[in-house]
Amino acid sequence: MADPLHQFQVTPYEWLDFGEVTLPVVGTVHLAFTNSHLAMTIAFVVVVGFLTLVTSGAKVVPGRLQAVGETLFGMIDGMTSSIIGHDGKKYFPFVFTIFLFILGMNLLGMFLSFTATSQLAVTATFGLITFGLVVIIGIVKNGAGFLKLFWPTGAPLVMRPVVGLIEFFSFLLRPITLTLRLFGNMMGGHIALKVFAGFVATAVVGAAGWFGLLIFPLAMGMTIGLTALEFLVAFLQAFVFAVLTCIYLNDVVNLDHAH
Amino acid sequence: MTAQAQPVLPEDATAPVAVEDTHATTEAAHGGEHESGGLPQFEFQHWFGQIVYLVFLFVVLYFLIARVFAPRMRRVFDERASTISTAIETARQVQAEAAGQAEAAKREVEEARAASRATAAAAKARVTEEANARAAVEEASVAARIAEAETAIAATRDAAMSNVATIASDTAAAIVERLTGKAPTGAEAAAAVKGAA
Repeated sequence: MADPLHQFQVTPYEWLDFGEVTLPVVGTVHLAFTNSHLAMTIAFVVVVGFLTLVTSGAKVVPGRLQAVGETLFGMIDGMTSSIIGHDGKKYFPFVFTIFLFILGMNLLGMFLSFTATSQLAVTATFGLITFGLVVIIGIVKNGAGFLKLFWPTGAPLVMRPVVGLIEFFSFLLRPITLTLRLFGNMMGGHIALKVFAGFVATAVVGAAGWFGLLIFPLAMGMTIGLTALEFLVAFLQAFVFAVLTCIYLNDVVNLDHAH
Repeated sequence: MTAQAQPVLPEDATAPVAVEDTHATTEAAHGGEHESGGLPQFEFQHWFGQIVYLVFLFVVLYFLIARVFAPRMRRVFDERASTISTAIETARQVQAEAAGQAEAAKREVEEARAASRATAAAAKARVTEEANARAAVEEASVAARIAEAETAIAATRDAAMSNVATIASDTAAAIVERLTGKAPTGAEAAAAVKGAA
C-alpha cells in the first residue's frame, strides 16, 4: 500500500529548482517552485477567476454563479458586521480574503494531488498573519490600552493578576490553535481518505485474496463517505478560521466598549 | 513489496542490508531528507519559500478584493437595495391609489344602494296606495251590491210573509169549510189567523 504521508511531500519542480542557500536569520532554505507553490497558485488563480466571473457581469437579478458568490460575500459580510459591529465593513476584505483563500486551497485539495492547507508552513502563515493583524490593530487603535484586553474587570481584584496572566497566555496561543486546527483537520482527513482508498486498491488488485470481496464494499463505502465529509470539513474549516478571525478582531477593535 | 520478498532469499546475512538499501532508495525518491523522521510537513528547508510566496499571494489577493471585487460587489448590493426600495415605494403608492379607488367605488356603491332602496320604498308605497285605493273602490261596490241584495231579500221575504198570511187564511178557511161545511168570510179567516199568530 502507498504511503499515506507521501501526499504531503513538498517536491520542487526540477526546472524551477534553485538549490539550497543559507540566509542569515532563517538558516538553510531550499529555493524552488514546488508542488505546494503550484497548489497555492492554482487556488489564487481560481479565487481571482471566480471573483472576476462573479463581479464582472454582475446584475441586479443574479445568475447562478453570481448567486453563489453573493452568498459567500453576504455570509462573510454579515459575519463581520454582526461580530465586529459598526466597524466590521472595514475588516471585511481581510476576512473575506482569508476565507476564500483557505476555502480555495481546501477544496482544491479534494481535486488535486496536493493540499496546500495540509502544510504546516501554510497554515502557520495564515495563523500568524491573522494574529499579527490583531496585535497591530490592537496597538494602533488602543495604544497602551491594548493591555486592558488581559485585565479581567469581571474577576475579583485578588484574582485579576492570575486570570490576566492566563488570558495573556491564551492570547499568545491563538495563532497556534488557528494553525493547528486547520492543519490537523486537513491532514487527518486526507490521511484517512488515503488509507481507506488504499484498502480499496488492495482489494481490487487482489493482494488480499478472496478476503478482498469483504474489504472492498466496506472500504469503498468509507472512502465515499469520507470524501463527502471532507468537502464539508473543507468549507467548515475555512468558515471557522474566518469566524475566529472576526472574534479576535472584535476583541481589539471594540476593546473600550466590550471590556 | 520487494523488501518483503527479500527474506525468502537463501542468503540470510545479506537480506537486512538489502532491506536497508530499498528503504533508503524509496526515501530518496521521496525527494527530501527526513531529518525529523516523521511528517513531510516538518522539512523546514521548504518553509521559507512557501511562507514568502503565500504572504505575497495573500497581499495581492487582499488588495484585489479590497480595491476591486468588494466595491464591485457592494455596488451591486446597493443597486439592488435601491431597486428594491424604489419598487416597494412604487408598489406602496399604487396600493394607496388602489385603496383610494376602492374606497370611492365603495362609496359609490353605497350611494347607489341607498338610492335604489329609496326608489324601491317609493315604488312600494305607491303600489300599496294604489292597491288600497282599488280595494276600497271594490269594497264600496261590493258593499253596495250587498246592500242591494239585502233589500231585495227583505222585499222578497216581506212579500213571502204576506203571502204566508193569505195562504194561512185560505188554508184556515178551507179547513173550517171542511169541518163546518160553511165557508167563513175572508175577513173572518184573516182576523182569526192574525189572532192565532
